[in-house]
This record gives sequence, structure tokens and C-alpha cells, in this order.
Amino acid sequence: MELEVKNINPNPEIKTKNNLMKNMKKQKTLILMSIPFVIYTFIFNYTPLVGWLMAFQKFKPAKSLFDQTWCGIDQFKILFSDPNFIKVIRNTLCMSLINLTLGFICSIGFALLLNEVRLMFAKKFVQTISYLPHFLSWIIVTGIVADVLSPETGIINQILVGLHIISQPINFFADTKYFWGIVGLTNVWKEVGWGSIIYLAAITSINPDLYEAAEIDGAGRFKKMLHVTLPGIKSTIFILLIMNIGNIVNAGFEVQYLLGNGLVQDVSQTIDIFVLKYGISLNNYSLATAAGIFKSVISVTLIYIANRFAKSAGEERLF
Amino acid sequence: MRKSKLIVSMLLAGTLAVSLLTGCGGSSQETSASSDGKIKEFSAFFATAGKELPDNNRLKNVIAEKIGAKINEQWLTGQTAKERIGVMIAGGEYPDIIDGGDGTQALVDAGALIPLEDKIDKYPNIKNFLTPTQWEKLRKEDGHIYFIQQFGQIRNKDTQVQHNDEAFWIQKAVLEWANYPKITTIDQYFDLIEKYKAANPQVNGQPTIGFEVLSDDWRYFCLENPPQFLAGYPNDGKAIIDKSTLTAKNYNTIPEAQKYFKKLNDEYNKGIIDQETFTASYDQYTSKLSTGRVLGMVDQHWEFLTAENSLKQQHLDERTWVPLGLTIDPNVKAQYRAKPAFNAGGGIGISKSCKDVDGALKAINDLLSPDVLTLRYWGEKDKDYKVDDKGLFYRTDEQRENARNQDWVNANMCMYTYLPQYTAGYLDDGINTILPEQQQTEFEATLTDSDKKVLNAYGFKNWTEFLNQVPEENEPWYPIYSACSTWSADQPEQMAMQKMDDIKKQWLPKVIMVKPNEFDSTWNQYQTTLITQADVKAYEDALTKEVKRRVEKFGKGN
Repeated sequence: MELEVKNINPNPEIKTKNNLMKNMKKQKTLILMSIPFVIYTFIFNYTPLVGWLMAFQKFKPAKSLFDQTWCGIDQFKILFSDPNFIKVIRNTLCMSLINLTLGFICSIGFALLLNEVRLMFAKKFVQTISYLPHFLSWIIVTGIVADVLSPETGIINQILVGLHIISQPINFFADTKYFWGIVGLTNVWKEVGWGSIIYLAAITSINPDLYEAAEIDGAGRFKKMLHVTLPGIKSTIFILLIMNIGNIVNAGFEVQYLLGNGLVQDVSQTIDIFVLKYGISLNNYSLATAAGIFKSVISVTLIYIANRFAKSAGEERLF
Repeated sequence: MRKSKLIVSMLLAGTLAVSLLTGCGGSSQETSASSDGKIKEFSAFFATAGKELPDNNRLKNVIAEKIGAKINEQWLTGQTAKERIGVMIAGGEYPDIIDGGDGTQALVDAGALIPLEDKIDKYPNIKNFLTPTQWEKLRKEDGHIYFIQQFGQIRNKDTQVQHNDEAFWIQKAVLEWANYPKITTIDQYFDLIEKYKAANPQVNGQPTIGFEVLSDDWRYFCLENPPQFLAGYPNDGKAIIDKSTLTAKNYNTIPEAQKYFKKLNDEYNKGIIDQETFTASYDQYTSKLSTGRVLGMVDQHWEFLTAENSLKQQHLDERTWVPLGLTIDPNVKAQYRAKPAFNAGGGIGISKSCKDVDGALKAINDLLSPDVLTLRYWGEKDKDYKVDDKGLFYRTDEQRENARNQDWVNANMCMYTYLPQYTAGYLDDGINTILPEQQQTEFEATLTDSDKKVLNAYGFKNWTEFLNQVPEENEPWYPIYSACSTWSADQPEQMAMQKMDDIKKQWLPKVIMVKPNEFDSTWNQYQTTLITQADVKAYEDALTKEVKRRVEKFGKGN
């Protein structure tokens, strides 16, 4: 922050080119420091983009990238004429939106509630427990979920049957209507504690004077939460939202792959699973790359839109 | 203190580095390295996980004395086969004998393997190890034979005692309860399960499960492929082949399929089939089977070995299963057993780094001679097995105990598990099996009382007799599923196969789970979806073409 303030041009009338040189000279240590990272990014994030050429070829492994047959945008045509692909886009977007909304609401809500806990020990205890599931791998989490929801031995069915809410155990994984909900709630269970950490950190940086002032104005705990805490973490929320919107085409792979089965495949398959099944496992790397390009383009567009949106709303932004 | 720790860790790191280096080098050491100056040593690499034998392994040295050669096996660790082979190709240094696993084709392409077709005639055991047709199948398009497929051969006669492939399975306890009936059709099978379940609603305090259909991911073949068996065809996997017209037909649309799934639909609605079965993972399936309350399933034997071992450890032998070769029509002859499918895509080859190719081939040839086969599998006479006055090999209790002890086996036995070997068959004397566990006395020694009761009740010597006998020869196209792995993504049949898989994964559970009165309409919907959404014709045509090609090229015989 401070650096930015220092570098604001004090004399706008001086020629920009001159100014640039001057700035560069001034910041030469910073520039030098950043060079390794630029190189790193270039090697590991930009050079692999050469592989995108595959999407315009009929790629056969064991031949060099430049000895392949070119086929224009055939792979994209195949992709978008496949009714399955349209379905997996729908699934990906819907599950992402569910995850995003539930994730945001729950993490922020949880952070707000946790912040109100006065007993330090209880607060730490709850926080630790709630973020532990983040460190479990999906294979374990899906195992737990499958056990909990099992019609025969699952605790959910036993409770529901025991309370006479349902007469027959529900086979949750055999019915398409439950799947997105299960994925959403599983995500919340796994990530809510972890997601709330950043908000809790943001809350601690809110100036305590504001709370005092609010108290003097007669605000209760709820009013303080609403009018001091929430506006205080608004910029954090926006930044995270922008970053997450870029991830909206990544609805996940493991959870759907591991929890899904033939019966619910119409709603369970995401773009990543489609790529695995029709691209990689059929050795059709070109189709897989085409799908990957499609994902990247959507991501970049979405980030750009969200960023513009934040800019016009006068909020903190990414770039 | 700290200093000594440092030294120790440096030493460890040093040895590790050295062992890694030697591991990668894998260079040829055919020069007479051993003390007596006669025994040749060959290095070998197999691209699969395996156990390295210690240098002082007893039988390894006994065999080396006998044949004048020793093969030092190395196995894949921490890498995939393709990666390891890629590194070898890049370095241009290979072990003398090599099985590249997935990377075999890469080895051939890189010119790392030497052609063997002119050499094998000199080595009768190697030559006779495979049939002429099998050698033909190994021949690449350039006319050369680069490797010897080492698995799946039967010497003289099939002596297997256990069915390792797909079948309908039924618990021994159920057979005993019903006083050992003869079960040959799917109706009798489910009838028996229904009756047993009604009489025994609980097993070991948990609800009885009548029938399981494993349908997790690629394992869903248990769900989709039984119609081929029920219609009397062998496990060609992707289609049934009409012998007279040599045409391939997918078995999803044959009447037997409809009858079978109608039956499953009935049983599902009667509560015989586990209602979780289509959503359960392989782990859940295994754990259910391990409780001993699953009366029957249709599956490959190797898929539920874990459950079977767990039941044996719990002393619930009567809860393990017996294979049944069912059909729909009792007059149809079932073909659940076949000769092991021949894998022409891999095997062991001799690399161009090998300095004594003839020595290596002679060693492999010698390893297949009856005397050495005896040493490889039975061990040394009197030390590891005894011979009775009729010439039959047997083991004493102590020797059996040794053979079960993995540590003992590792220190004493040397089976060369990835070099050419027999799955079943007799030694030259015609009375002793090559593999000890297939010798009748040894097989019987592993049986529990409940096993013996079942076998005696049916008058069978071993478990394979519940099914058909292995045919003399498989059909020349068998198994046709091996054709599918050569399809590439831009061929319509590949796309069709993937689509059919997807449709079947979704619709087969559906047709089983609907109410009985909706079965017919759901079945019709499924058939329509299958035919309209997947290019079934392209799929069948491609397989038919391959059947005809194989018949033309290989004629009769495996």
C-alpha cells in the first residue's frame, strides 16, 4: 500500500516516458527481485500453452507436435455437437454456483458467529475442529459421506426412519435429484472452517474504535455485526469473490467422480470427468485440450467481467 | 553425538545414491562373475512391482549350478512402466532380459529389442512353449518377433483346481442347506437364494443379502456381461460371435439379455438384490462380502479374493463361494471356462545391450525343462518335497508350512515369476503337476472340512468341475475384446463403445430398479436409447471385420 502511495506521480505534466525511466530506476531493486518469478511464471505457466496447438490437430502420441495432422476446429465442433458436453457444462456451472453460494454464505456466517464467541478457549476449539476436514483427502471424505448416507447402515437414514419422517430408507445416490445437494453440503462440511479463517483475520483488523462508537450510538451485538463487521470485511469478500468466479468452471473432479455412479451420471459428470472419459482414456488428447481451452477462455472472461463489476462498484479489485 | 549422526546419515545417503546408480545402470554382466568362473549372470528388468530375491537364495543358486546361468531380477519401483522404459530408452542402456509392460511397444519402436524369430528354432523348450499360431500372433508387422509372451500356457493338460474367472457364485452354506442340489439355470439359482433367504433372514446377526451386482466404474462388467454367458457364449467380452457366419453381435439386445434383466428386476423388487448394489463402491462391496451374509453374486474370482481370505481368517469357510456355470435355457452348454487368453501385446525380450544373446536364450530354454521346472516350483527333492513309492510328489506338513511362509519362500525358492512359465499342466512323468498347489494331495491339504463336504457331495475333485471343461483350443478370434484396445479416438467404433458404456451404466440399473409392471416399457426405452444414441452398427461391423481378419490370419487354434 505504502509503496503505491510513494510512486504516485507528483508532477503529471512531465512526459510519461521520462517518468517511466525514472520510476524504473527508483524501483530497480523491486524489479530485480521480481525477475525470477517472472521467469518462473513464463516457463511453467506460459510455455506449456504451446500444447494448445494439439486442440487443432488429430494428435497421435509418440509423434512430435509438428508432425501431426492439422484439423482446424474439428475438435471444437465434435465437442459442441455432443449432447453430453452440453450436459456436463450445465452440471459444472450448477454445482459450481451451488458450491460458491453455499461456501460464501456459510464461511462468512461462520466467521461472524465465531467472532462473537467471547470464551477464547471455546472459540479456538471450534475453529480448530471446523477446519480439520480441510486436510482430509476427498477419497476419505467421500467414503464418510457414502457411509453416512447408506440406506442400510447410514446414520441419516436411521434417524429419518427412527423419527418416522420416512418409512423406507432413501437410497440417496440412486436418485438424480439429491446429487447436487450432497455435493454442495459435502463441500461446505469440508471447507467451511478453512474458508472462514481469512474472514476472521479480516475481522481482527477492524478498528475497535468503530465498535465503541457504535456502542455509544446504542447498537447491540447484532447491529454491530451488521453495520461494523460486515462492511469492514466487504473488500475481502469482493476480492475472494472475484478469485472464485474465475474458478467457476472448476466444479471439482474427485468428489463427483467418487460419489457418482451410472444412475446419476446425467447430473454428476463435470467437464473434468468428461475430459478424462472421452479425452484422456480414449487417448484423444486433442479433444481433451480443446475442452481445456474452452475452460480457460470462460475462466478468463469471467474474471474480467467480475473485475469490471468490482471496479464500477468502487471496490477493491484484482487488477 | 551430532557428528556421528551426521556421518551415519551421510553413509546412508551414499549407499542410497550408489544403489540408485547401479539400479539405473542395469548393465550387462555376462562375463563370468561367479566364483567358479562358469556361471553366467544376466540382468533382467520387469516393469511391474515385484520382490527382489536375495543373492544367497538357495534355489537360485541350485538352479544356477544346474543350468550354468543366473538371472538377476529387478522390478519397477516408484515409477510407471512407461516412465522407467522412457528413461532406459533415453539412456540407451538396457538390462539383458526385459519386459516393458506398457512400455513394450516403445522398446520395439526404439529398436531396443533384438529379433528372435531366427533363433528360437535352436531352443526346443522355447519353441514348444507357444503354439505356431501364438508365435504368429507375436510377429510384428515388420516380420520380426521381438518378445516371448510368458504367461497363460498350459502344458499337456489343464490341471487348475480353482476357477479364477467369471461365474455365478453361491455360498457353500446355501448348497449345504439345500442338500447339494444341481443348479444349472438362472431360475434355479435365484429360486434357491430366495428360499434360503426366507429361511435365514439373518447371517451372523446381520440381515442376509441375496445377490450383489458390483457396478463400480470399470468393474461394472459384472452388471453388463452375464448375458453372453447365459446365452452359452464364452467371455469374448465385447460381443458374441456367431460361429457359422463369423459375425459379431453386441449382447445387449439379445433375448437372453432381456430375460436376465427381467429376472434381476423381479429379484430386486422381491428384495433379494441388495438395494445399494448399484451405488456401492468396490470397497463397500468387498466389506459386505467379507461379512459372509452375501449369498451369491456374479463376478470374476480375482475381484473378491480379499473378501474370501477375510472369511477364511474368520473361520467362516462355509460362507465362501462355489462357482456355477448358469444358462437361461437348460439345454444350452455353458462356456465359462476357456483357455487363458493369449496376450500378444507383451512379453520378455532380449535387449541389444545383451552381450550373449544365445546364452540368455539358452538360460530361458533351460528354465523350461521339466527338471528345472521342478526346481522352480517344487524345490529340491527331500528338502522341499518328498516322493512316494508311486513317484508322486508330496510335501510334509513342515514343508507345507514353509511354503506358506513368505519370508522362507523369499530366502529359499526361486520361481522366476516373470520368465516363461506354465499356468497349469503336468511334468513329463504325466502324474505330477508343475505347480504344487495343483497336485491333488497338496490341494486336498488346503481344504477345510466344509470344503471337503461340498466336493464329496458333488463327487468332484476340485472347484473347476462345477463348470465346463477348458476346451482344447479357443476360437481363433478369442477374446475379441482385445481388438478394442487398438481402436483410436477418431474411429466411430471407439466413440460408439464409450457411448454404449455410458448408456448401459445408466440404464441397466434403471431397468432393474423399476417396478415390475414398468419393466417392459423401460426396457424398450433403453433399447431405443442404445440404438439411436450409439453407433452400434459401426461397433459391430468393426468387430466382425476383426473376427474375419483373425480367422483368415490364424485359422483354427489359439
